[in-house]
Amino acid sequence: MRGVTRALMAPVWRTLPWRTLGAAGGVGLLLAATARVSGTGGEPDRWSTLTLLRAAALAGALGLAFLLDDPARHTTAAVPARRPVRQALRAALVAPFAALWWAAALCLAPAAARPPVGDITLEAAVACVLAPACAAAVVRLTDRARPGRAVAAALLAAAVLAPLLLPDRWALFAGTDDVRWEAAHDRWAVLLAGAVTLWATCAPDPLRRRLRSRLRLRRRPPSRSARAGSA
Amino acid sequence: MSAVVTPRAAPSAVPTEAPRDGWAAVFALARFETRKLLTRLPTLVAFTVYVAWIVWHATRSWDDHPALQNVDRVTQSVPPLVGLAVLLCANSAGLRSRRHGTEPHFAVLPLQPWRRTAAHALSVVPAALLTAVCVAGQFTWEALKPGAVGHGSPAELAVGPLTVLLFGATGVLLARLVRSAFAAPLLTVCFLFLFVLGTGTSGDDATGWLTPSVPQLGPTLPSGLLDRPAAWHALYLLGAALTAAVLAVLVAGARHWTVRAGLALTLALALTGAVAQAAGVSPSPETTAARERASVTPEKEQTCVERGRSRYCAFPEWTAWTGSWAGVVDRVQSLAGGTASTQGLVVRQRVEARYGLESDSALAPSATAHQVTVGTEWGGNRVPEFATAVAAVLVAGSEKAASDMCDGRMVTVMWLSVGWQDDPLDVLRRVRLDDSLKGAAVVLAPTDPLLMTSDVTTVVRNLLAKPRAEVTAKVKEHWAELTAPGVTSARAARLLGVTAPKAADTCGE
Repeated sequence: MRGVTRALMAPVWRTLPWRTLGAAGGVGLLLAATARVSGTGGEPDRWSTLTLLRAAALAGALGLAFLLDDPARHTTAAVPARRPVRQALRAALVAPFAALWWAAALCLAPAAARPPVGDITLEAAVACVLAPACAAAVVRLTDRARPGRAVAAALLAAAVLAPLLLPDRWALFAGTDDVRWEAAHDRWAVLLAGAVTLWATCAPDPLRRRLRSRLRLRRRPPSRSARAGSA
Repeated sequence: MSAVVTPRAAPSAVPTEAPRDGWAAVFALARFETRKLLTRLPTLVAFTVYVAWIVWHATRSWDDHPALQNVDRVTQSVPPLVGLAVLLCANSAGLRSRRHGTEPHFAVLPLQPWRRTAAHALSVVPAALLTAVCVAGQFTWEALKPGAVGHGSPAELAVGPLTVLLFGATGVLLARLVRSAFAAPLLTVCFLFLFVLGTGTSGDDATGWLTPSVPQLGPTLPSGLLDRPAAWHALYLLGAALTAAVLAVLVAGARHWTVRAGLALTLALALTGAVAQAAGVSPSPETTAARERASVTPEKEQTCVERGRSRYCAFPEWTAWTGSWAGVVDRVQSLAGGTASTQGLVVRQRVEARYGLESDSALAPSATAHQVTVGTEWGGNRVPEFATAVAAVLVAGSEKAASDMCDGRMVTVMWLSVGWQDDPLDVLRRVRLDDSLKGAAVVLAPTDPLLMTSDVTTVVRNLLAKPRAEVTAKVKEHWAELTAPGVTSARAARLLGVTAPKAADTCGE
């Protein structure tokens, strides 16, 4: 299996959506850098820096939503390396760049107004894991070869609606001076665990559906022949 | 033979009819795209959330006295979100033929790509019109409330629909510039955080006014003091939206001189609006003088009404509320005793407009005897806050004297303030800054807040537990002693026949 994985590395590297990821990363860095020029009277504003870092994380996550897009999905289904291996390989190839990118985004934000690094990184991690996890769920539950667009749209909608609609008890988007910051980050940690679980659950190839389709195949011919018989 | 010639003659008719047919096809395509655009999931969700927000906003119980010069700016806050949804959907529609690989099929049709782009741009207009209907509905709803005062501005109301138009046209333009489905979500993220959540700039400088909506919502001011370049901003938005649409058509291959002329014209519109609004960002000297006058010497601007024993002076737009103020003053006075129950008061409306539209600066307490300050907002918590100010002036003589008050007189003030309410305990909790019913707390008022010590809180709660008529009779009986400076809350409790607290009042805690 290790040999297969090594052999897969180069083709997977080539099929990764580098242009999308690059565009997302670029826009994310641009947003993080905006925090330097925004704010009143030259003083960087804590709230806008936090919001812009969240925007950068969201931009990166939108790029990662396209991570599992694989136009050749239906032909690669037959390769000996199973889907979890292929998805893990994609994630592993992208992860170092994503980490570097996030570090750069943090460095671009003005140091005086930077929110706690660990906590904001947790938020970014949730967004960046949730996006491919949702893509994995779409891959698992449907026959789509490119789940990216739908997942990106859903993620965007969630990012717009969650701050508006979440009740106070489940608040996630707290400010740094907010008393709910700590509790909100406990919730973010739970979300990260949930996203990882979702990905782990959805990564394997479905066995049952294949069983069901086999049953359907077995059932169909008699009905067709019955119809032919009645005609 | 003739059978062969006749079909050949038919195509020759096509070029002469092409222009008219072209536009008919454009409108037909625009109708189809409109239907698609308005039934896409993001647009549906956005409009649902928008309508739900309008209903929620209009039915809040504390919002039954709207000032229309603020309502028109409130209508600008959610349409940018609708605009983002329209941007996404319009962009996705513009790229649909490429995504589904039907571009070569369309290439054989007589409808040129730029006409199809024009149809996409036109399909955004109904979404903007629907937003206009929502904005009009929201404003009408607020304006029809019995407590509505002030004047709205059509230019401010136009900003919401024009934002949707601008965002939608940007989506179409983006589809022609970048042939990737990923560009629109990324642009949406940038727009969301820079324009909608307002992390970019404020409304005090010219660059801030380049963003679509600049609500500058602060304390309510008379509409004559606002002086916002709203009409120029609307022109700027219209120009920018049309520029984006015409540019998209131009990029799609229209090389006709009318398109170029249209681009120049729309660009000129946008630039005129941008330059003119930049000139109007800082208030004119006349406005600054008017704001100064309204803040320092409001009596020169106001009309006064006599109701009962008291005089109610309000800015011309607010005279409709004097009846509600008089109702509160009468009820508070009905609980008072001595000369206070017949004392004529001057209720004066005051604003602080000198520090701009967004600064929520506090009003200084008035030193004039028997003058009570009332703000420009009413309903909800503003009612018990005003009642507290009336009670404090009745007990202490003036707002200035009341703000230094720290003794058992606060018992009487708070009894007068909330004793007449249907649910006095709930009102007492709401008027205290920390929403508590125990311990010391700051009590809000239109000017400087007052302080309730924990003893005062205990005595007032004990009073509220007793029958209203009994307490009222005792308050009237011992009025002189209860309002004498230096009376302790323990003494007040004994006079009123409730359990006295053990500790002494200390305001410094």
